[in-house]
Amino acid sequence: MTGSSCRQSVHGLLCFLLAGLISCAIVLTGCGGTKKAAHGEKVFRYGTMAYGVAMYNAGMNPHKSYNGWSAIRYGVGETLFRFDDKMQPVPWLATGYDRPDDYTVRIRIRDGVTFSNGRPCDAEAVAACLRHLVKVHERAKGNLRLTSVTARGNIVTLHSSQKTASLIHQLCDPYGCIVDVSQDLKDDTKVVGTGPFITESLTPTEIHLRKNPHYWGGQVKTDQVIVKSITDGEMLTMALQNGEVDAVQGMPYSSITLFEAAKDKFKILSVPTSRVFQAAMNFRTPALQDGRIRAAICMALNKQQFVRALLNENGYAAIGTFPANLPYGGSKVHDDGYNPDKARALLAEAGYKDTDGDGYVDKDGKNLELRWLTYTSRQELPLLATAMQGYLKKAGIRLNVNATDNSGDFLKKGDWDIYSKAIVTAPTGDPQYYIANHFTAQSAHNDGRYRNPRVDALVQRFSGEFDPERRGQLAIAIVQQVLDDHAFLYAGHLRMNLVMRNGVQGFVPHPCDYYEVTKDLDVPGEGR
Amino acid sequence: MSKPVVQRLLLLIPVLFGISLVTFLLMHVSAEDAVDVMYRQSGAVSESVKAATRTRLGLDRPLLVQYALWLRALFLGTSLSIGTGLPVSGMILAKLPATLALTFSSLALTVAVSLPLGIYCALHKDKVPDYIIRIGSFAGNALPGFFVSFLLLYYVAVRLHWLPVMGDGSWRSFILPACSLALPMTAKYTRYIRGGFLRELGKPYVSASLLRGIPYSIILRRFVLKSASLTLITVLALSVGSLLGGTAIIESIFRIDGIGNMAVRAILMKDYPVIQAYVLWTAVIYTFVNLAADLLYHHFDPRIVATDTSEGGGIHD
Repeated sequence: MTGSSCRQSVHGLLCFLLAGLISCAIVLTGCGGTKKAAHGEKVFRYGTMAYGVAMYNAGMNPHKSYNGWSAIRYGVGETLFRFDDKMQPVPWLATGYDRPDDYTVRIRIRDGVTFSNGRPCDAEAVAACLRHLVKVHERAKGNLRLTSVTARGNIVTLHSSQKTASLIHQLCDPYGCIVDVSQDLKDDTKVVGTGPFITESLTPTEIHLRKNPHYWGGQVKTDQVIVKSITDGEMLTMALQNGEVDAVQGMPYSSITLFEAAKDKFKILSVPTSRVFQAAMNFRTPALQDGRIRAAICMALNKQQFVRALLNENGYAAIGTFPANLPYGGSKVHDDGYNPDKARALLAEAGYKDTDGDGYVDKDGKNLELRWLTYTSRQELPLLATAMQGYLKKAGIRLNVNATDNSGDFLKKGDWDIYSKAIVTAPTGDPQYYIANHFTAQSAHNDGRYRNPRVDALVQRFSGEFDPERRGQLAIAIVQQVLDDHAFLYAGHLRMNLVMRNGVQGFVPHPCDYYEVTKDLDVPGEGR
Repeated sequence: MSKPVVQRLLLLIPVLFGISLVTFLLMHVSAEDAVDVMYRQSGAVSESVKAATRTRLGLDRPLLVQYALWLRALFLGTSLSIGTGLPVSGMILAKLPATLALTFSSLALTVAVSLPLGIYCALHKDKVPDYIIRIGSFAGNALPGFFVSFLLLYYVAVRLHWLPVMGDGSWRSFILPACSLALPMTAKYTRYIRGGFLRELGKPYVSASLLRGIPYSIILRRFVLKSASLTLITVLALSVGSLLGGTAIIESIFRIDGIGNMAVRAILMKDYPVIQAYVLWTAVIYTFVNLAADLLYHHFDPRIVATDTSEGGGIHD
């Protein structure tokens, strides 16, 4: 009797709560959802780890933060010059340039180019855009140092307070994306560029783009592009497996093998990039002031094994700063190679021997113990840290790894001996950016306080040199000197992968990581 | 509004002031600031560019001046995010619907499952189903949320194709994240409800009511369930507070653009105005939810009365 009544009451309560759940679901339905594409429309859905607030690119206004990367990557805007596969600038919205003097560049603007709102992208519009850029964008202002921007006919003339040797390369930086500044740049959906796509809606996690019917460069093959920010590697993998996206960027190495094994459904396109996994020696650390110790550390690393075993061949062993596809990179410089025997001999020569038999070398009763600082947001860096721990242990050096996303704090406080990071070494196709920022006594990112007057002098010569061939030779000489000093250790360069369904065409990775969505992107229509 | 409630709300002012000041000072203990983080990835800027950015953002001014300016911006509603440049209030409001949807759907699911299970276990104490449910609740408690998420995603979305992997804002995309949050909460709640029910069933008023001939179902529904609800309200209040504060891991896995994701991003980017706003939001939420819980205690059990806080506490038995 009582049991039955009780069951009824519980049943009643359950019904009430289920009704609540259903109401909740109905309310949630009103939260919206993905817009449905028309039948036959070509919609490309792209999952990427490279878009979002944390990347400072969650927007389309190239004159703000790193939003230019999104404008260029997703086909909304274009720059005056772009990089070819060898990272050399070639005309895009411009047709060419000349230098009347060391501080001036005259750029010829292409005829017939229009913004997506139909307004002509002429010299006046380009000049207005560049003037606005250097007025509001601190990084562009500091890099370009423009003192005047004028337009006459189809020529834009740029005057800079510094020699313009790398100005054309710097204009390929996504902040150089040309937009119509007569429009409201505050609203990201109203940023008007010259690219094959127009922004329909934009949030910090998703962008909806529609094709620009008046694109100056020809027919755009895909009707819609949806860019989804996905910050979790497993999620990225499952979304592609489940068919919710057509292509992904940033796939974890551990997942790539899944798609390599399913060649009938997926394809993987990869390209070597100039992103390097490097380690800077801290010259304030007494032990590291001895060149033999630094050399021993460099020789202890088996770069080929690191790339093969830990990066699953998704990178390639680095010799110096720049990758092999650049005229001043790859085997143009040389390092000491992997030589653990010589590493141990160098430590012995420096007075470090394992006197207590604990497996680590010591001097004056103290083990040789170093602190390796890195961060975890790039999956390769903790792998490099643990690999180094093993390699250095073999050489007799105890390495304490500090892999933290708060690495900036430790770096600033000087609580480190070797600092490892991943960095794009030639984002503008020119070596000046990296060299100037890392190798001289005044360099902003010379974290280890490396000093070599010869390098400083070479960098000074390099900055004033215009001839590309001589610039390349100087870059090689500078990097070689840094390698000879063992001030930096270069472990490997990243190979960037794009994994996509077999039906996707015209979506190819580029060494500079700027160009992804183009007019040539093509996918089967909806309802396929 | 009763005096204790007004007092509780007034107490919120110094609490918020203290919390915001302490958070502000703690954030600036770090050697790295928002501008360092902003340019860290590119490494392409000189110190002069960083200095110009700091000047534009007011980060080069003395700490207390920065705090005063932030306080002023807060009152005027003009506080801007360093990362996005957008008004912070607008950012929080934009993230709120997703967090609210996730909070209430996971809570509804939790209560809908754990309440009957807990009651069933209590009524069938030490029987086989009780043991099975208790073992299940142990397991549910032990499984971390992200692990449950990936299991559900793999089996329900990838293998069976019943639901989407990624959140697209539709109600279907909230099912898996709600389940991922609800599973460990259900395990915990079932045990609490079972315990609360058993405690009440052992009290003399239940035997006395039965002796007076009151049907068992009425005793359960009108008295036991009502009294045992106090346990449920306590845990619910804690859960609502923490869920409204954001569930960063689940939000990140399921691509839900909620408060938790926003807070983690802000911390990583050292976006001070957003972190400050988030801390205030969490403090306000906890205060209001606890206040609501206290009022509900009184509603369910009038013996628990609200008293003047100056007389040694807020609302007590």
